Amino acid sequence: MILLEVARKDLTLYARDVRFLATLGLFSASLTLILSMAFGPIYQDAPREAAATMWASLFFAGVLGLTRSLDMEREAGGGDALRMSGADPYAIYLGKTLANFLLLAAVFALLLPLTSVFFDVGSLSGLPRVAGVAAIALLGYSAWGTLFAALARGLQARELLLSVLLFPSLIPLWIGAVKLTHALWGEGGTASVGDWVKVMLVMDVLGLGVAAWLYEPVQEAGE
Amino acid sequence: MLSGASLALEPGEVILLAGPNGSGKTTFARILSTLLPPDDGEVTLDDEPVSEHRALTRRRIGFTTHVPLLYRGLTPVENLVFFARLAEVRDGGLRAIDLLTRFGLKDAMHRPVANFSRGMLQRVVLCRALLNDPPILILDEPYAGLDEDGVAAVNTVLREARAAGRSALVIAHGKERAQSVVTRTVHLRDGRIEAA
Repeated sequence: MILLEVARKDLTLYARDVRFLATLGLFSASLTLILSMAFGPIYQDAPREAAATMWASLFFAGVLGLTRSLDMEREAGGGDALRMSGADPYAIYLGKTLANFLLLAAVFALLLPLTSVFFDVGSLSGLPRVAGVAAIALLGYSAWGTLFAALARGLQARELLLSVLLFPSLIPLWIGAVKLTHALWGEGGTASVGDWVKVMLVMDVLGLGVAAWLYEPVQEAGE
Repeated sequence: MLSGASLALEPGEVILLAGPNGSGKTTFARILSTLLPPDDGEVTLDDEPVSEHRALTRRRIGFTTHVPLLYRGLTPVENLVFFARLAEVRDGGLRAIDLLTRFGLKDAMHRPVANFSRGMLQRVVLCRALLNDPPILILDEPYAGLDEDGVAAVNTVLREARAAGRSALVIAHGKERAQSVVTRTVHLRDGRIEAA
């Protein structure tokens, strides 16, 4: 299955790049630590600040992952190798999205315990729900991020442009993830939870849908 | 860059396309292989425009260019198996090992290609182009970085292609290395293709 082959290839390349993994881990952990120190030591609203910190760190760390994904394809001829295989471009996109999603899930698995310790929030019983929120948010992030990374591939200052394109588009996802995590870690404030889940799911579907329409022409444009 | 460039590649034909730097050889190869759409004109395969069957056409072309089109963090076997699966090549793993052995890379097939010399990389690139036993080969500078054994291996591939009725377009600066295997040589000058 092309989707799984592409995801496996990307994950293998991520896993073998120790320098990249160390940078990603250290960057996201240090950002969490710095923000926790900036908000503390006495927190006004620990669940809210913890949620904002974790998601800001995750979203910034995600750009490192997307940039690495972009570089891997540039090293292999800017997508020419994938194009010449004759494989379905959308399957390639989905494979890359899956790999980026799993990479971000690994960063989430690192940041969640750090955030819980630094801010003294969360509990094991609430973990499945927070993981559920993360799954929805990170799917949307990966869906849009993979598409924007492909768009930025042929441009000058691509890393900068990737952030410029990505962050404004992901505001609904980021706010939704922070609100939901805050609601799960804090007390009360769960009235709008359902609405935010819907907003995030719409963002996920939109990302995957727009890519179905746009990824092939973007890939064909090459570098 | 190209203007009125026209070339017909018949079965069993191996054409050498020569020309100076910047004459548009690589652009021409990219257009033929469907990687670059022409501003004007058309590429046809079996009288069908390739733009209408792009994915299918790509699976019928073995393409190499000056960029290796390989993932540096993967070994040659992993690279070839990955592309074989993408192109739905049956027994891709066996085919990959067979090709790598044939190109003298048996002992290096489990090392990441990031550590390979230019010549070794070029051999893997040729293996990738031959993975699905394509009826058409478009090889842009296939001799770059190769030693005598490598040159001989490329020429053997071209001879076999010719004998099997396949077609090949070889792009190179000079004709010396390909001279013994090509059926004709053409030059790209001022955007046009001229017989040598």
